[in-house]
Amino acid sequence: MSLNIMSGKPLRRKLFAAVIILLSGISPSLSQLHAAASVALAKEESGELDLFATKALFDSHSACFVDARSEYVYYKSHIKGAISLSDSRFDEQFPDFSQKKAIETLIVVYCTESSCGMARHVAKKLMKNGYRNVRVFSGGIIEWAHAGFPIEG
Amino acid sequence: MTRISFPSALITALRMMLGAFFIMSGYEKLLDLKFFGLIIAEYQILPSFLIPAIALFFTLCELLCGIMLLIDLFSRFSSSVMLCMMVVFIGAMINNVMRGLDHDCGCIKFLSQWYGLKEEIGIVPIARDILFFILLLPIALLGSNRIPWVKDQK
Repeated sequence: MSLNIMSGKPLRRKLFAAVIILLSGISPSLSQLHAAASVALAKEESGELDLFATKALFDSHSACFVDARSEYVYYKSHIKGAISLSDSRFDEQFPDFSQKKAIETLIVVYCTESSCGMARHVAKKLMKNGYRNVRVFSGGIIEWAHAGFPIEG
Repeated sequence: MTRISFPSALITALRMMLGAFFIMSGYEKLLDLKFFGLIIAEYQILPSFLIPAIALFFTLCELLCGIMLLIDLFSRFSSSVMLCMMVVFIGAMINNVMRGLDHDCGCIKFLSQWYGLKEEIGIVPIARDILFFILLLPIALLGSNRIPWVKDQK
């Protein structure tokens, strides 16, 4: 009897996995879940942070927040305590930034929302300039503000 | 050669309308000069150290020329100054559009707030400044260059 269960386990797992894959293909809600999980996995692999991971870093004061949008947009509103390092004027602003922030600092870069590429550009430029701990908060200020997290400006 | 006659009432109307417009535009810039300076910086034409001075210069020019147009004090001179400024603004916007830069033009914030007009550099603000240029021309060419409180001696 016990031998039968042991031998049946791998088969059961395979069957279960097959059912899940089948269901995720058929059911729209499950396929959405599947897509969301894939996006989250892709974000994690590319070093991008989601809202709650970003908030945890914000609360722990362990990261420096960098706003990649234009400086005049940053001036109107930004995540509380964030520094402006715009994609458009990176070369002008970077010398000042590099004097203030050590190369080991954990940096979280954000822009407006997930579709804007400025945060990723600035993250790449920072890494090119030697900053190793650079992460991107892909949700941007829209997701941050929508969640009611602190903003100033 | 026939001289184009322009009704003086039309010149006066243009002068008053543009004068009020430039006063409002200059005043809102003066309220937040830093913001205007940051927009000028976004054009990436001027060196950073010049930007605060240029922001103040443009704002004061707009405000003073607006007042001068409104009260008809050296209208030809003030409209000529504004014509030059329009040429600078149009040139700067065309330069940025050609370079593929995308940002606010820093033109007239109250128009976008009241009427929802686009403030991003592009064809709309360029066309608007060209329109201002055309409207300023009659004042610069045919307007008066007098001091309103000094009576003309004949």
